[in-house]
Amino acid sequence: MITVTHLTKKYGDRLAVDDLTFPVAAGRVTGFVGPNGAGKSTTMRMMVGLTRPDRGDVRYSGIRYRDLRHPARTVGAVLEARSMHPGRTARNHLRAAAALSGIPTRRVEHVLADVGLETAADKRTGTFSLGMRQRLALASALLGEPQVLLLDEPSNGLDPDGIRWLRDYLADFATRGGTVFVSSHLISELSMFAHDLVVVGGGRLLAAESVQAITGRNDIDVRVETPQPTELLEHLAAAGIAAEVRADRLILRGTTRAAVSQIAFDNRIHVLELTDVSRSLEDSLLDMTRPTAEFASA
Amino acid sequence: MTTPHATTMPSAATPNLRHLETRTPRGDARAVAGALESEWIKAVTVRATGTILALALLGGLAVSWSVSTFVTDRVQYVADVGFLWTGVTAMLAAIAGVLLFGSEVQHGTLASTLAARPARWIIVLAKTLVAATVGLVLGAAGLAAGFGGAVLAGLEAGDTSSVATTIGWALLYTTLSAVLGLGLSMVVRNSTAAIGGLLVWAFVVENLFRLFLADEIARFLPFVAGNHLLSDGSGFESAEALAVALTRPENALVFGGYTLVALVLGTVLLYRRDTN
Repeated sequence: MITVTHLTKKYGDRLAVDDLTFPVAAGRVTGFVGPNGAGKSTTMRMMVGLTRPDRGDVRYSGIRYRDLRHPARTVGAVLEARSMHPGRTARNHLRAAAALSGIPTRRVEHVLADVGLETAADKRTGTFSLGMRQRLALASALLGEPQVLLLDEPSNGLDPDGIRWLRDYLADFATRGGTVFVSSHLISELSMFAHDLVVVGGGRLLAAESVQAITGRNDIDVRVETPQPTELLEHLAAAGIAAEVRADRLILRGTTRAAVSQIAFDNRIHVLELTDVSRSLEDSLLDMTRPTAEFASA
Repeated sequence: MTTPHATTMPSAATPNLRHLETRTPRGDARAVAGALESEWIKAVTVRATGTILALALLGGLAVSWSVSTFVTDRVQYVADVGFLWTGVTAMLAAIAGVLLFGSEVQHGTLASTLAARPARWIIVLAKTLVAATVGLVLGAAGLAAGFGGAVLAGLEAGDTSSVATTIGWALLYTTLSAVLGLGLSMVVRNSTAAIGGLLVWAFVVENLFRLFLADEIARFLPFVAGNHLLSDGSGFESAEALAVALTRPENALVFGGYTLVALVLGTVLLYRRDTN
């Protein structure tokens, strides 16, 4: 449905988006993940013609966004939830959006009901919470009954109820043939309903494949609990095994339970727990993007 | 205030899997009507527009009545006092024009507007027509208030032979002012800077220039030309200034020229700049 080809954008000396090429399939939810500054928002703005790429192309079933006859009725985009005039009511905000795209006014009442804002329709958006603004932004994207939803951090400000509602809505939308492209920092949340992932870091594509393919490559870690952690760490280091201390347990990578058990036995170290642990999608993605993160925590 | 929550299950999310069509010139022409309606909704559904209209009405009424009542050193007529407030109304129209674009930048709605209509000329055309309409309405309101205040104060009509013509030029002035404000905000992209710049230029800079510039040059300053649309040649000008004064059509061309430059420059920048 969407093909992004060699998309590139430079701001001065900084290459914000570097030769991105990936597909976004119809009937599936594609997650767009990456650390802060990875180029996600810039990419999404280029996908709806707000930012002109230096090179490359984005096409919707072969048609460039600016050549679409009804852009807002093809692509429903939520790029910034706070983008609304605080003095205008929710209903008027949607009326203006509907008129601009030639969408019948009756759709305004439908989408207000869809996102649960009927009772707040005549309130000024300046009085809205972030969650309500997020819902209104989504309502605006749904006005034209689009076949593509492009969402940048849509669950920001939503309570758990709202996040679940959004997740179910997007999953249902994709099941019915729609295309969903959603960026999010909530990798664990995304992993619950995304089919495919596009991972970027430092403006470059790191991976574009199914969630299954990414998690299928995960290594198995070994978790050890022992009353002699310092001694065991010394012997593991001598054997060249990397270890991480996490909540009174040791997490070991690149080894097996059998190998750890042998080291413990040979050195008379008491072991209380020795378990294989699958790495989460979040761990895999963080490992993938860590070298390119602009602002990494210690 | 209680925050409503979505307590119902989500409605069926049904994407409309229609065949995608490409833009056509005919389709773009039809899109202008929708863009016009959208811009009109945006203009009339914010308090700023109502506030500016109220200022034009109440200010005009107050100033006109006060001048008619308290300035007694000369004979005044409705035909003269009625136009006193028009210069300020033109400035209010320019401010309204600034806000038509500037508030979209300020509140981030420009991005969704341009995403919905990537053919940016449609947005520019719609905003220009709405700005012109707002300027016309403000001009009419200011004039009605100006004449109304003078009538309420009990002034006589005076020489009304040129009133209709002057009203026409006054409305042109306020209409063009609104479009000038729009063009300026498209260039500057900051409402506060655009409005501040307009006020400083019109009330301070031009008056300073008029002290130092020859009348032959000063007559081409934008608001000098604009305000001369309200005058048929008489008034407080010196004999030297009157001798080189432009005609009303010439003044309209000068002021209209500045408006056109601002609008064209703003449109070029709208196409060239990225929108965040």
